Amino acid sequence: MTAQIISKLSRHTPVIVQGATGRTGSVHVRRMKEFGTHIVAGVSAREGASLDDVPVFANCRAAVAATGALASVAMVPPNGVLAAMQDVLAAGIRLIVTPAEGVPVHDALRIGRMVKEAGAVWVGPSTPGLAIPGEMKLGFLPNVSLKPGPLGIMSKSGTLSYETGYRLAQIGLGQSIWVGVGGDPVKGVRFADLIDTFMADERTRGIVLIGEVGGNEEEEFADALLKSPTRKPVYALVAGRGAKEGVAMGHAGALTFGEVGTFASKQRQLEAAGARVFATIDQLIEACRQDFAGR
Amino acid sequence: MLLIEADGKALLRQSGIQIPEGQIATTGPAALTGAGPWMVKAQVPVGGRGKAGGVVRCDTKADVGVALRRLVGAPIKGHTVHSCLVEAIIANADEYYLSLMLDPAQYGVRVTLLREGGINVEQNNAAAANSRLCSPEPDAIAAAIRELAVREPANRRTALIDTGEKLAQLFMQRELMLAEINPLFVSDHGCIAGDAKIVVDLDAVHRQPAIATLIERNAATYPEAIRKLRDGFDYVEVDAEGEIGLVTTGAGLSMMLIDELTARGGRPVNFCDIRTGLLRGDPTRLIKVLEWIGARPNVRVLLVSVFGGITDLSEFAPLLCDALERTPSIKVPIVARLIGNRADEARDILAARRPDIAVEEQLPAALDRVGAILRGASR
Repeated sequence: MTAQIISKLSRHTPVIVQGATGRTGSVHVRRMKEFGTHIVAGVSAREGASLDDVPVFANCRAAVAATGALASVAMVPPNGVLAAMQDVLAAGIRLIVTPAEGVPVHDALRIGRMVKEAGAVWVGPSTPGLAIPGEMKLGFLPNVSLKPGPLGIMSKSGTLSYETGYRLAQIGLGQSIWVGVGGDPVKGVRFADLIDTFMADERTRGIVLIGEVGGNEEEEFADALLKSPTRKPVYALVAGRGAKEGVAMGHAGALTFGEVGTFASKQRQLEAAGARVFATIDQLIEACRQDFAGR
Repeated sequence: MLLIEADGKALLRQSGIQIPEGQIATTGPAALTGAGPWMVKAQVPVGGRGKAGGVVRCDTKADVGVALRRLVGAPIKGHTVHSCLVEAIIANADEYYLSLMLDPAQYGVRVTLLREGGINVEQNNAAAANSRLCSPEPDAIAAAIRELAVREPANRRTALIDTGEKLAQLFMQRELMLAEINPLFVSDHGCIAGDAKIVVDLDAVHRQPAIATLIERNAATYPEAIRKLRDGFDYVEVDAEGEIGLVTTGAGLSMMLIDELTARGGRPVNFCDIRTGLLRGDPTRLIKVLEWIGARPNVRVLLVSVFGGITDLSEFAPLLCDALERTPSIKVPIVARLIGNRADEARDILAARRPDIAVEEQLPAALDRVGAILRGASR
């Protein structure tokens, strides 16, 4: 499901932006358009809202009826995400990115069940979004870090992926597909859901996984990697080795209890599945340079 | 966020689940209930405190005093003990394990009921067979509990189901992420929660006044949560004796920076995700972080690191200068690592206003600078 929907994205995919006329929404609509995203409509409940040359509709159903949109970016505040998801799923859209940080976990549970029921793909919450450099982006991955190339990036962290992606791009290694899955415990697309997408994608020659302590997504990914019939090299960073047990470090998902979700557990399982786990960003960059640069 | 046991039990009691008689204590045995023996339990928000020496059985009042003097103020697994819970020991009961836990991948709730609780429950091989995954609704959770309790003798089954249903209500109403009772004392007289491990969702606290009240009441125990709720950003003190103060943005990058500094032998004071995108021309947030760092005695260097992917660094640089001007407690050398949108302009601004700040573009170079300062080498 995830693979079919994400790998079909291109500069021709019609996209709507929910909450498009807000302060943050309007800024990012312009940046997405500059990057090549085909934004066909905005959605705003505010009467008479407008946005450059983009038509604005009162709800997703009207926007989809008028434009045939296939994907949405919901630039709405955390407590508005549940309602925005109800609206967009009812309109038949099957790929939704929700960047908001701070979505209550029980809201995310309800959203997750709705998305599953609808057979849709949800990227978020707490995500900068996803991008196919050279084609389009949904959300606000920074343009300075984006460049077409051979690496598929999946990341729980925005900033750590910006840093890593930027430095890789500086040595000529851009990205095929970049998906920020977000740092929340309950979310839409998880690392393991992306394996088929990255393995099937011909542009992708290597996978960069940027994880964090807490939860068990890295372990799930390691399991899925072992089972994958296709092999591609995996380069991983896991932030939070020094995190304090029982205290979330910024990301609600980055919370360790006892042995569950620790750095050691993630490193052990990722390495057992054939991934390389690096202690520093530099070491990851250097390994990618040796394997890909000049080839 | 994990609540301390006493706060977890307060929520259990509010939902009608029985807890042992006890009181919060910080000093000697003033007015203990019962004739003993008692359990003295350090109130720290961390698992495994029993194995870390934070739970002591005391037979006499004098022993309680000794235990309190030893525990209060001491660290348990990196958390300072601000108080202890002193409870009467529950005798003549069996110890069960009952928990409700979110299953993030399945969007459900995992219900587990085991006949043997205790501190080694993680190794219990029966756990898988005695748990059920259900949808996140009180009725579905209650049905799962009834199913799990079906093999229990009738007199216990009723009490277990009653406790389980109350816990299910609490879990859904208060938007919990984990509600674990281990041990759950079960006898012919009913169930009593011997412990409470409750994980709350800080992103839902704004609509959960009962939980907000607990956190506010124990501000010293939950400094990170208090900061997040009051100030809207994340700051976690990782080492009060640390030498490197960090002004950073982004949770993942900030965590990685701590890891890399630690691997180089450095001692970072803090984690922080200041969210430069939300400063909006106001240095207040920066001033707060600088004051918290400045209050720590061993700080020898301040590292500012911002990747300006979206943030305009030429707006950030003057705010940093303003904040430093208003924070006289920061007297140490400063390394600023600025990269991204309008970094050149930001560098010019710093050069004009704060020529003492060492500005680097690349992270490894900035980390080297920090290392050199710590080693006392001249710049």
